Amino acid sequence: MSQAQLATPVPRLAATWLTLVLLLVGVALLSVLLGAGDVGPTRALAALAGGGDPEARFVVGSLRLPRTLIGVAVGLALGVAGALLQAVTRNPLAEPGLLGVSAGSAFAVAVALLLGASATTLRVSAAQLGALAGCLCVLSVTRLRGVGSDPVRLVLAGAAFSGLLGSLTALLLLFDQRAADEIRFWVIGSLSGRRADDLLAVLPGLALAAAIVVSIARPLAALSLGERVASGLGHRPGRVRLLVIVAVALLVGAATAVAGPIAFVGLVVPFAARALAGPDIRRVLWLCMPLGPLMVISADILSRLLVAPSEMPLGVLTALCGAPVLVAVVRARRMPTL
Amino acid sequence: MSLFPVARDATAAKRAPASALPPPSGCWRLAWQWPGSGEASLLISRRSALANAGLLLALLVASGVYLALGSVHLAPRALVAALVGQGDALAQFMVIELRLPRLVAAWLTGAAFAVAGCLMQTLARNRLATPGIIGIDNGATAFAVASLVGLGVSLAPPAMALAGAATAAAITFGLTAGGGSRGYRFIVAGIGVGAVFGAITQLLLARVDMDTANAAYPWTVGTLNARPPGALLVLGVGLAVGVVMALQLSRALSLMRFSEAIAQGLGSRVARRRWQVLGVSVLLTGLAVAVAGPVGMVGLIGPEIARALSCRRGVPIIASMLAGALVMVLADLVGRVLLAPIELPVGIVTAVVGGPWLLWILLRPHRSLA
Amino acid sequence: MFLTLLSRRPLLALTLTLLTTGAQAQSVETAHGPVDVGPDPERVVTLHEGALDTALAVGMTPLGAVTTRGGDGVASYLDDYLDEIAIVGVVREINIEAVLNQQPDLILAPPQLSDEQYALLSRIAPTVVPPAQGFTREAWKDDARLYGQALGREDQVEEAIADVERRAADIAQTLDERGIDSGATLVRWMPQGPLVMSSQLFSTGVLAAAGLEVHDGGLVPEQAGHSDPLSLENLSRIDDDWLFLATLNEDGEEALASARRSPAFERLDVVQRERVVSVDGQLWSSAQGPLAAQAILDDLERVLLP
Repeated sequence: MSQAQLATPVPRLAATWLTLVLLLVGVALLSVLLGAGDVGPTRALAALAGGGDPEARFVVGSLRLPRTLIGVAVGLALGVAGALLQAVTRNPLAEPGLLGVSAGSAFAVAVALLLGASATTLRVSAAQLGALAGCLCVLSVTRLRGVGSDPVRLVLAGAAFSGLLGSLTALLLLFDQRAADEIRFWVIGSLSGRRADDLLAVLPGLALAAAIVVSIARPLAALSLGERVASGLGHRPGRVRLLVIVAVALLVGAATAVAGPIAFVGLVVPFAARALAGPDIRRVLWLCMPLGPLMVISADILSRLLVAPSEMPLGVLTALCGAPVLVAVVRARRMPTL
Repeated sequence: MSLFPVARDATAAKRAPASALPPPSGCWRLAWQWPGSGEASLLISRRSALANAGLLLALLVASGVYLALGSVHLAPRALVAALVGQGDALAQFMVIELRLPRLVAAWLTGAAFAVAGCLMQTLARNRLATPGIIGIDNGATAFAVASLVGLGVSLAPPAMALAGAATAAAITFGLTAGGGSRGYRFIVAGIGVGAVFGAITQLLLARVDMDTANAAYPWTVGTLNARPPGALLVLGVGLAVGVVMALQLSRALSLMRFSEAIAQGLGSRVARRRWQVLGVSVLLTGLAVAVAGPVGMVGLIGPEIARALSCRRGVPIIASMLAGALVMVLADLVGRVLLAPIELPVGIVTAVVGGPWLLWILLRPHRSLA
Repeated sequence: MFLTLLSRRPLLALTLTLLTTGAQAQSVETAHGPVDVGPDPERVVTLHEGALDTALAVGMTPLGAVTTRGGDGVASYLDDYLDEIAIVGVVREINIEAVLNQQPDLILAPPQLSDEQYALLSRIAPTVVPPAQGFTREAWKDDARLYGQALGREDQVEEAIADVERRAADIAQTLDERGIDSGATLVRWMPQGPLVMSSQLFSTGVLAAAGLEVHDGGLVPEQAGHSDPLSLENLSRIDDDWLFLATLNEDGEEALASARRSPAFERLDVVQRERVVSVDGQLWSSAQGPLAAQAILDDLERVLLP
């Protein structure tokens, strides 16, 4: 983080951004070409070019392309949400997954299953509502108590909250073996088997969040200089914070609704973005946009290839990537506050 | 309870003999003569002593009720008869073979979780910083589940749970050499390591059939139903050692509660003490998880009760121990009786009871978390 | 306030006294070595769905049982054979006191019983734990024979197994005569995609005995797994003559509808030909025993031989 204090010149930032976007395009192409099935790169390439056999056209057009697009959306949402949350709490560890969003989503699914829904027919809305509730609970704690800026306290509160919801979920499952059996497949995030219309369903939420982000980027940057500076520049810190929380809830809710709980993306992506672009939130947000999809799609490709012909859940892979970054953040000589 | 061995205190040693001073208000002085080496004395907070006596009494009463109630309720007379080996053979079997070992397991695990929680909370100056919340339990669960879903490991689940707790702690220790001020680095890294182990557990459970997932269930929620006697014995020994060490560390800890500078000024080797405290805390948690699975919430509730009852100055090790055992006994009693014949695992009862408490700690306005 | 139920009941002999009357006791070989059981057990508690099934199949009504998954009581396919039974816990959490309270003289336990639970249960009554065999098609027969031996009704168990085998062979012959396609796959449909069940399970074993050729797409390792999640890209591997879709609740049609919303599923040949059969997952993915086998064969006849 030390060189991060020096502002990167804008041209260099643009070059970095372009490189990342190109990288993302490459990875997205890989994601379309590679898969757990028998359709290899050559057949997939032929199908992409408009030819190829029907099986390859189906796999590429109906399975891999939507999946890649969903990966882009999820990565974008989670990366930006993490950056926003960390900026507003001035806490580098504020990450939706660590703050109990995943646990909230699992709990909501368990309740829905107990109330008679079946995992096979359950629409994404329950998970989305749970994620939102979890997100709002922890965020309200941070607002109420002013613990948001203390990294350790915030993360502890999130962990405690997750533990609590986890136990309540276990209680519900004790009485219902069917739910217990089905929820095992819900509590780990994955991009597998998601349909394009799942993505369409959450697009309005994403668009709204994008509008909010655009409108608050400048005040948010001012806020990072301190409340007084922000007020002096004519911004209202309370209102900015509220808007950020709404945007984060929308983004995380949409991502969780489509892909299930995926931890650590919101931690790793802004961390990398800050290392590349410095502390200015507007620059960080620009870089998060290609970085988030990059991470999610790379992890998704790995998840398809590691245990082919089956698939490994994406959430496990991102957790494995994310934990070292978490440790790197706390190993920094001084816990950085943003 | 707080034990202040004043006579050993470097700042007080050069002054007049401790016995010449009147004890501070609210304290009793225990003084005795060592043969040949002069006098030693202990100050015991009156309030702490009374709190401990009260907790002990409550624990004994709760234990009696625990032995009497269950799927079949026993009258006090029948209970006493069964305990002394008389009367109905079935009642004897129920009390002596089923309920008594379970009661002992509740005592020991509750005490171990609570002492471990008390140590870590005091060190971090944060009442949410318990071993369960920072991921030690998750490591234990992941290992135990791994051995149950047949990853070619021949060790029994309790041994694996202990190994898992030790592994999670070792990784965290290794990643955070130095611990950071108040050990916060340790705590945050622990949460990260715990999250990884949690994901691994979910992955393992998602890939096995329902029967195996059921066999792994006790290790994911925590229960006292038919626990391994060997692990219980190890826990008993470990608890005795751990509590003695905790008592020795409690003075250094009560100094570290203020600030590192003060503690160092008073001659405490802060860094080493911090590692010792974390070590004892992890040891106790690991041994307790090996018996009962992850019942981490006791590590939060027990010390909380202890602090509410005891005097504010010390680190309430003994009171935490008693309160933890009491919470565990009561929670398991509720779990056995509430929905009979279905038993609720003790980990779930403590979570449901501890949950609102946790929210209250998190949401209560105008008071610091620390 | 305190009930003294125990002292009012005639005290049944505990294990130790049973062991000393070994004259007529017979010994059965269990996972925990030979266990002596009484000559004619009357008070039986079953802690395993297969044990309950077997006991009912040979005309013995147990006093207590654990609940089935997904329900408050025992599996619904057993409703016809059973009026009432005491629940002594759930599969995940056996209530040992409740078992003791039934004062059993025989406990039929699952292969997965933990050593600690065995140590306690075996002091209440002789506890019969079948050796764990992993997933094999024939394991249920060995389990049933062991339970039957412990109940002193080996002959009836052999008869029940033979009935199943005979009926399965009849169905196989009819299928063959009528030239009905015989490839079959058993899956459960999860939001992420299908979960392919091993071809080495109890239910798939019964299908095999009835002349169906059960496939698992080469996905489930031999003897190792129960089921494995399948990538949608490989869905064509389950494109069989028949696709059995197990659900753990009654809304099988809904599950089917949900699966059909997936384009990968919809384009399967077996779906186009309307040869997807939704079946009761309670029965098809977790039960075992002679009665369960008959129930599965009922399902099979209803669908394949209408």
